[in-house]
Amino acid sequence: MPNINKIGFNPGQKIANPFKTSRKSSNPFEFSNFEGNTLPFADVFEGFENKTVNNSKLKMITSSVAGSMTKLRSSITEPIVNFVNRVRNGISNAWDYAKNTNISDLAGMKVLNDVMQTDIADIGKGLTSSLSGMGKGISEKMSFLNTDVSEIGKGLSTKWNELISKIHTNKINKDTSVNELKAMWEAEIAASAKEAA
Amino acid sequence: MNKNVAEIIDALAAHQDHASIEVLEELGTNSPDNEVREYTSRALVRKNIHDSLKIVIINQGKGINDLSPSVAMSTINEILALKDKSEVIKILDDTINMHSDEAVKENARSVKSLLALS
Repeated sequence: MPNINKIGFNPGQKIANPFKTSRKSSNPFEFSNFEGNTLPFADVFEGFENKTVNNSKLKMITSSVAGSMTKLRSSITEPIVNFVNRVRNGISNAWDYAKNTNISDLAGMKVLNDVMQTDIADIGKGLTSSLSGMGKGISEKMSFLNTDVSEIGKGLSTKWNELISKIHTNKINKDTSVNELKAMWEAEIAASAKEAA
Repeated sequence: MNKNVAEIIDALAAHQDHASIEVLEELGTNSPDNEVREYTSRALVRKNIHDSLKIVIINQGKGINDLSPSVAMSTINEILALKDKSEVIKILDDTINMHSDEAVKENARSVKSLLALS
């Protein structure tokens, strides 16, 4: 019985009004939050250690972060919905296109059909003619090269012979006979006279 | 001057044959080109034999008697540079004593004076 009396109605006991707000604090966010029932900041964010920050400040930050997150959620919800709707409409349109379009109308299908309908012998014929044309072209190029090389060789041999003859003719030393030297000198005089003329 | 001509003159100067002197006199000392005349005169002096030195000393208009001062001075310098001057002095003496042209005599006398001073 003593226990029953303890939990029974006691008219002398004062019951705190749960709807009454306390106006003793100077916190401006006090009336818009959960009346001090907010979760501690360290419980909301893992790893955060409450060391020197004031408890009332922590409550203020927590409540503002919670409000911001709520706003953020409401702001991103609408675009996501729109995006999903767009994707759904796109898929629907693609499906309609695929369902209603004839496969022969697709781009490239005409060429593919033409190739597939061509006889394999004709393809081989075309390839053979192309290859023979290529070979002919290469053969012509090679023959041109051969001609050119022979011409180059001819020109080189001519130049070489000219150089050798020039070296031989320019071999002027004391072993050259006086008559040869005289003839060379006269040739030089004639050449210089011709140049002057 | 043409490089080939210079080589020909050098080759003729190296020849011991008397015909080389004749070619040098005929084609070199009579050339209208001052450079060729100068180079030929110096080649004749370098031969340092009687026939070659005679050409550049006693002939009017050739060697030391050339109308071009550069040719004359180059020939005189080449004479002054000779190691053996005995043949040159002998020809100069003969020229001073026996040559008919007074200008040639005067030039020979001047060169001999330079040789004595050098």
